[in-house]
This record gives sequence, structure tokens and C-alpha cells, in this order.
Amino acid sequence: MATDTQQSQHPGFYAIVVMLIIMAIGPIAIMLINSFKLDVDIISGTSGLLFMPTIQNYETALCDILPYELDHLDFCALKFGGAFINSLIIALVSTVLTLIIGCMAAYALVRFRFMGRDTASATTLMVRMVPPAVLLVPVFGLWNNEFCIDKASWLGSWIRDSFGGRGDVCLAGTHSGIILIYIAMNLPFVIWILQSFIVQVPRQLEEAARMDGAGPFQIFFKVVLPLIKPGLAAAAIFTFRIAWNEYLLASALSDRDTKTVPILIVNNMSEFNVEWGVIMATGMLLAIPPIIFTLFASRQIITGMTAGAVKG
Amino acid sequence: MLNLSKTLRCLTVATAMVASVAIADPYEEYAGTTLIVNFPAHPHYDAVRKILPEFTRETGIEVEVDQLPYLKMRERQTLELGQDEGDYDLIAYVVFSKADYVYADQLENLARYFMNPKLSDPSYDADDLIDGYVYNIGFAGGTKGYLEGKTGSLFGIPYGSETSILGYRKDIFEKHGLEVPENYDQLLDIACKIPELEPGMGGLSSRAASGHHASHAFLLHLAPLGGRVFDDSWNPIVNNEAGVQAANALKTIVDCGPEGSASFGFGEALGSFLAGDTAMFLDTTVVAGQIDDPAKSKVVGKVGWAMHPMGTRRGSQTGGFGIGIPKNAENKDAAFLLMQWLTSKKGDKLVALAGGNPSRFSTHEDAEVNARFPHMATFGEALKHADPDWRPIIPVWGKINADLGTTLSKVLTEDLDIQEALDGVAERTKAVMEEAGYYTWSN
Amino acid sequence: MVLALLYPLGYMVYGSFRDWDPSQSLSESTFVGLKNYITLWNDPNFHESTLVTLKFALSVVTVEMLIGVGLALLLDRKLRGMSVLRTLFILPMMIAPVVVGLIWRYMYHPTLGVFNRGIKGVGLEPVDWLGQHALLSVIIADIWQWTPFIFILSLAALQSLPRSALEAARIDGATGWQQIIHIKLPLMMPVLIVTCLLRLIDAFKVLEVILVMTEGGPGLSTEIMALRISRTATEFRELGVAAAMSNYLLIMLLILTVLMLVYNRYMEYRASRAMRVAQEN
Repeated sequence: MATDTQQSQHPGFYAIVVMLIIMAIGPIAIMLINSFKLDVDIISGTSGLLFMPTIQNYETALCDILPYELDHLDFCALKFGGAFINSLIIALVSTVLTLIIGCMAAYALVRFRFMGRDTASATTLMVRMVPPAVLLVPVFGLWNNEFCIDKASWLGSWIRDSFGGRGDVCLAGTHSGIILIYIAMNLPFVIWILQSFIVQVPRQLEEAARMDGAGPFQIFFKVVLPLIKPGLAAAAIFTFRIAWNEYLLASALSDRDTKTVPILIVNNMSEFNVEWGVIMATGMLLAIPPIIFTLFASRQIITGMTAGAVKG
Repeated sequence: MLNLSKTLRCLTVATAMVASVAIADPYEEYAGTTLIVNFPAHPHYDAVRKILPEFTRETGIEVEVDQLPYLKMRERQTLELGQDEGDYDLIAYVVFSKADYVYADQLENLARYFMNPKLSDPSYDADDLIDGYVYNIGFAGGTKGYLEGKTGSLFGIPYGSETSILGYRKDIFEKHGLEVPENYDQLLDIACKIPELEPGMGGLSSRAASGHHASHAFLLHLAPLGGRVFDDSWNPIVNNEAGVQAANALKTIVDCGPEGSASFGFGEALGSFLAGDTAMFLDTTVVAGQIDDPAKSKVVGKVGWAMHPMGTRRGSQTGGFGIGIPKNAENKDAAFLLMQWLTSKKGDKLVALAGGNPSRFSTHEDAEVNARFPHMATFGEALKHADPDWRPIIPVWGKINADLGTTLSKVLTEDLDIQEALDGVAERTKAVMEEAGYYTWSN
Repeated sequence: MVLALLYPLGYMVYGSFRDWDPSQSLSESTFVGLKNYITLWNDPNFHESTLVTLKFALSVVTVEMLIGVGLALLLDRKLRGMSVLRTLFILPMMIAPVVVGLIWRYMYHPTLGVFNRGIKGVGLEPVDWLGQHALLSVIIADIWQWTPFIFILSLAALQSLPRSALEAARIDGATGWQQIIHIKLPLMMPVLIVTCLLRLIDAFKVLEVILVMTEGGPGLSTEIMALRISRTATEFRELGVAAAMSNYLLIMLLILTVLMLVYNRYMEYRASRAMRVAQEN
């Protein structure tokens, strides 16, 4: 480090850096500040920092899971808590499943020379190319009409009896329906990124483990997995991010019990009153998990991102 | 709030007394049922949610509300109603969905329920429901398919219905000695004078955003100015003189309106009036509750109400929502009981006191309601001039509405020539109508 | 994978030849041949939204490339706190597009937003951001969100450049600009091309930000194709037309991707040849 300090920095340079930082996080800060303001303060135009911070917006947003009654509400309109839990379930389950399937597939592809790396990267690209909007129509049609179990069949009637609900048992409107499409969207990317890490695991290590009498599964879990942890972290963050943030497909596939947070936010930019404070609070709550990831794992994120382009 | 809950309590006591006198409880059979209802995010339905606990207390029927913004609600309903068995027991539908749902045979005809002595409440007094709303919102199969007529029947009951009314800032009008506009010339004149008199303030805030909003704002002016979308044999006449005049009026209003008017949806337009950035507001009656709510409004007590100004005729809009029972619902009888309770004299008054829009004549005249909401009298007057035919409610309207709204938005933001734009709309509308078979009999 | 991606795509192609309503299953719909495609081909609204999509994608990518690469060149120094800076830069990319749209819609608000307050503060006429300048406003928001992506990729590329080449240039007395133009940029080229095309593909996928900010309006001025597809499917309830539109979009993207792959191959080939030549010397 010390050797490079001779590059004396122009003061203007620091000015640019500061400006960039303000530009990058300014809007997020605005959202944070406004989420602590009452609507009256937001509208009144005194844009300064002089206001009484309040957590009322967060209380309104989370009214369905707060243990106490709120005085300023007559009824709980926003079911944010429920949506938050849905988002968590969907994002976590789809991330875990994608990683499990992904790393096994990647391992198999590399070790058993099943398909070339080119195939995986071509598939990744292809999938990356397909906009979610394009998937909307077919997924909507299939999940609602084709991927169904007749409720008259034994499995269908069992599901209806034990879980309730009406009509044929379809993928649409269930957590699994949304999870399935997220897994499919993310899997190629995960396989591809993990491949590049598995390739770097020295064969000798595995040979040595086999000498010691380890089975193929033991080798995989005890030897390979620990070595590709950074890759797993990157893959996990990217999968989680997409599943957590996605709006369009979730909105087409979810019903009133499986709504995720992005849907809730779009829905509540409602016609009749845009309650900025509450919306900012919900937005902030939605943004918190990704922000935490970014702060703690920015290195992995950058690895994941650059792996895409720099390594080709 | 305290007041309301007190009223509720009084009413509960009253009904409890009535119930103890009655021999059998019509609700008994359904106690414990959970109804799933689909309501829009709308001030009226916010008020409804306040009175629902009262229904549950009285009848033992639980109600689970799925509340969505109304365009989203419509999308959701299309999907739900199309299935063999749907989730919703009772739905609130936007007035223009009436045509779609009834045509696709997705709503229950209410005759069967009103005939059923076990369900139908003899004291319901259906004649007290406001005629215009009933025909506009609940009635289908009459003249032109959507108006009053001998061939029609009832599929829903108006609930959260509304008409248009002019709100104006009394303080501003007084300060500059302005007269409350009676007709369109005065309205446009004042709308454009205000930005000069009060720098930074817009004349009239109107919705104008692309799509439904722009179309709605245009139709609002079309009826009073003497225009229609179709003539009597379904030929589009939206591009005639009245149509151009209405589009011009809209353009003038937006040009003289508050900053950013051209992209306003209903929420923004109202927001601008609430924030005191605009001197007039010409839209639905449903906003009155919010204008007097100090938590949302900076113009509490400064707003006066007047009738929708006249063009060549009086013609305020009729709109809002109705409630109906889907064909594929699970608990139809219980749903009917809820529907009847909500629209009964008692329910209507409760919801009016909670800030909703009443749909009965008696509620508009009720002393208690008028004491709480002095503007109710003007609203009642406006109702008499509500025009049920200001917008055609036919199954293909959604498509025409989208086209009209997009084209008008272009007129407002891209300076498209008005006549040319409307000619285009008329031409495309003609094609849509042709395809839908509206000209089958006209030769 | 097959169940959730390939089958749906096939299903969509099949559906695009049918007159299909969301309440029907596909087998109940009627076959209409190429009608959906032909209607779209002649539909001025579809043309406009294609044009908007292209305008949006091209301008976004161009500006982002310029700023992103420029910043990377500027900030390619050993700086204390560089990693903090990079972390802050990724934030906009990580938060949900819905939230990004929300923040910007607020900032562009005609009276409440910070932009118009700032502009009025210095005594200028307020700007009608989401009205008359909707497309521009949407483009600015996208630039905010995605320039860091290009910045980080180009920075990574810059830092993996062979030091020897740069040293040699410095010893030969090349100025900063000369180094950039003759050495750094050409060496970064393969990465830049890939980055650019990745961004281009992503730009065709943007939907939520615009949906929340403008819902495609005013008029059709910000109705990019992805948004039009979803509106056609949900609002106009014409799944067949939406499917046909999806296919048009896919074809456009397919062409882009193939171009990108071909170009990448070509560059690799050239690079390896150059490498061999260099080694031989």
C-alpha cells in the first residue's frame, strides 16, 4: 500500500468520490428518512431533517403481526407481516433447493464430463435472455390449468381435505408454484458459477479421500463442499436476491394467501390515497435483507458478478 | 372515532333487543361460516371494514376481506370467476365489469334470493335504493343491455356508488371575488384565471394519466357537453363536435392545472387538492371524507361543494361499485345475508356515518347523517341529475376505454391534433364493435 | 428445468396461434393461425412500444457504458476504502426494482419530490418529470441503478490487465490519455463487449421500475415491450396476442445473444492468436 501513496490525489478527485457516494446512497437515505415521517410532514414541504421521527408507519405496515393493538388504525388493511413471511419462505426455500440441486449437478457435470462447460454457459445465457414478462403467459396458463391435480382423484381430495381451499389442486396460488419457477430461472446460473469453482478443486484431494475409504457422497460433502464455499455464497446471494425481489411472476401466480412483499407494495400504490410514509416503510423493510447481504458479503457479490463477464 | 363506536354500541343494543323479540334468528343456520369477500381499496370500503365487526357480532358470520386496488381487483376477479369453484363468496365489482360478468354468466341472478322467504328480509325496502344507481350498477339486460328496461333483471346492488361533484376552495373564491361556476364556460374561465391570481396554484385538478384515468376525465365532460360515445345504433360518435369540445375542455383544464397534471392518476389529483395546490376538484363524491380528515388534508373546512357545472345539459357521472354473488361461490346464501345487511337501511346509515357513500334516499335525508356531513344535502341534489348513460357498459368497453385513454393522454402530452385523434379512436372503436357483432342487425 | 422453462416456452409458441382468454384452458381456445402475429405487425401501438423499448435500451446502455467505464478508469487507483466504495455502489443493484421505482417516483413527484423542490429552491421553473419527460426520467433511474454494474465489471477488468504492458508504456513515456486509448481500452475490449451485451439484454427485461414509476404512460411513451406484454395478458385479457408479442421479443433477444456469442468466439480466437504471436516473439 505504502508504495502507491506517491500517486498524489487531486482534491477534485475526492470531490467526485464524495459526489458519487451521495448519488449512490442518497435516494435510499431519502426513503429511510421519509419512512420515519408522518404523511403530513412529507406533504408539508419542509424537506429538511427537522421533524419528529415516528415508527408509526412501520407499525401500520406490520399491524397484522404486532402483538398489541394500534390506536391510529381502525382495522388492519395491510397484511405486510403475512407477505413478509411468504417472501421469506419462498426466497429461502427456492435458494436452498436451487443450491442443493445446483451443486450436485455442477459436480456431476464437471467430474463425470457429462456436458461441456460451454453447454452450461450457453444455457445460462439463454435463460438470462428470457425476460420474466415472456414467461408470464405460459407460466400463468400452465400453472392455472395444466399443472393441476383433479380434486376428484385421491391425492387431490386428500389435499383438499387436509389443507382446505376449493377447486382443482393447481400449482398456481401455492408457494411451491412460485418456488418452482424461481428454481428454474436460477438453476443454470448457479450450476455455471459453481462449475467454475469445482474445476479448481484439485483432483488429488479427492483421490486421497478415496484412498482413505470415503464414498462418493462423503467426498462431495467433506472435501468438495468446504472448498467451494465462496462460490456457494455468491450463488446463494444471487438466487435469494432474484426470488426476494421478483414481482411479475409472483403477482401472476400468487393468490391472497401467498402474496409476496413486492406485490403488496405495487398494490398499495393505490388509486385513492398514496400514503407515502407507509409505502416507504414497506419499501425499506423489503430492502433491508439485500442491504444486509451487500454490506456483509460484497466480496462474494462482486465475485459472482464479475465471474459472468470477466471469465467469459 | 369515539362517536362512531358509541353509535355502533347503541345500535347493537337496539338490535339485540329486536332480536330477542324475534322468534327465530334467520342468521342462526349460518353462524360460524367464514365468508371470503373481495373489496377494492377505496374510501367507501375502508368504511365498510369498520362496520363489518358489527355484522359478525350480530350474526355470528365471520368475514375475511381481500382488499385490492380496483384495477387489480378486476384482474383477480376475472381469474377467480372463470374457475369451476372460486374463492370469493361476495365481490364488489367496478361498474363497468357488470357487462363482462353478467355476459359471461358469472354472477348470480338475485331474484332467487329475494324470493326466498328464509333469506329475504321483509323490511328491506328496495324502493328506497337510489334508482339511478340500481339501474346503472346492479341491473343488466334492459335497454342497450345496460340501462333500465323491461327485459332486464338484477344481478347486484349498488354499494359505494358515487356521482361527480365540484369541490372548490371557499377562501380562494372569496379572496378574489369569484363566482362558483355554473356552466362549462365559467368553469374553464375560472380554471385558467386562478394560476394568474394565485401564482403556483392550479385551477382544477383532474385525473389525466394514460389509460383509464384520461378516459374517465374525458367522459366526465362529454356527457354535460351533450356528447355520447355511441349513437342509438352503436355507431361511434365520440369524434363529433361535442367530443372535440370535451377533449378541448380536458386539455384546457390540464394545461391550467397544477404542476404535473398530465401524469396525475386519481390519487395524485386528489392529493394535489388536499395539499392545497389546486383551487377546484371535479370528481367523485367519495373524497368528501378525506377532505375533512386533518391527518390527510390541509384544506379542512375550506372546501365548498357545488353541482357538476352544466354544459348543454346536466349530466354528472354515475359510477362506483356494486356487490354481487359469484356463480362459483361456496356460501351463496350467507353471502346474500351479508349483502342484504350491508345495503339495508341500518347498514347504509352505519357505513355513511363511518365515512362511506350511502346508496339509499333515506340515508341522504337522515338527520344524524346530515348533521355529521353537511355536504350530504348537496350530494343528494347532485344525484338527481346523475346520468346513467354517460359511459357505455358493454363487454368490449374495456378495450375501447384503453384505446380512448391512451389516445387522449397523447393529446395532452404530445400535442396530437384533437379531431384527428378522436377520428382515430372512432375508427378503431368501429372495428371493435364490428368484430363483437354490434352491426349484425343494422342493414 | 424442462418442466418449468422449456415446456412453458413450447406451450407459449403453441398458444400464440390461438385466440386465448385467461379463463380458458389452452385446449378450449380456438386456433387462429398467424392472426395474432399479423395483428401485431400492423398495430401502431405495438410499433410504438417496440420503438420505446429500443430507445430505452440503447440510450441506457450507451450512457451507462460511458459513465461506468469512465469512472472505472478514473478510480482505478490504490485507494484506502475502495472496497467500501464498491459496496456502496452495489446497493442500488441489490434492492428490489419495485423499491427503486418507488423511490424515484417519490423523487420525481411534481411538488413533493426532491428534484422539483431543488429546482424551485434556485428559482427555476419546475419540471414535469413523469409527464412530458417520462422516458428521460425512467432512463435516469435505470442509469442510477445499473451504472455501478458496468463500473464494477470494468474495474475488475482493469485490475486484471497485465502490469507489464502498462509498465512498458509508462517507461516509454506515454501520457495518461495515451495509455488509456492505446493500451487499457483495447485490452479491456472483450470484457467491455460482454458487459455491454449483458446490459443490453437486461435492459430489455426491465419492467418493475417502469411499472411503478409511470405504468407505461403518459400515452405509450414509456410502455416498453415487457410491460405491454404483461398489460395485454392481464388487462386486455388476450393471452394469445401476449404470447405472440413475447415471441417477437424473444426473437429480438435471440438475435442479440447469438451476435454476442459469435463476437465473443471471434474475439477469443483473435486474442489467442495474438497471444501466440506474442509468445513466439
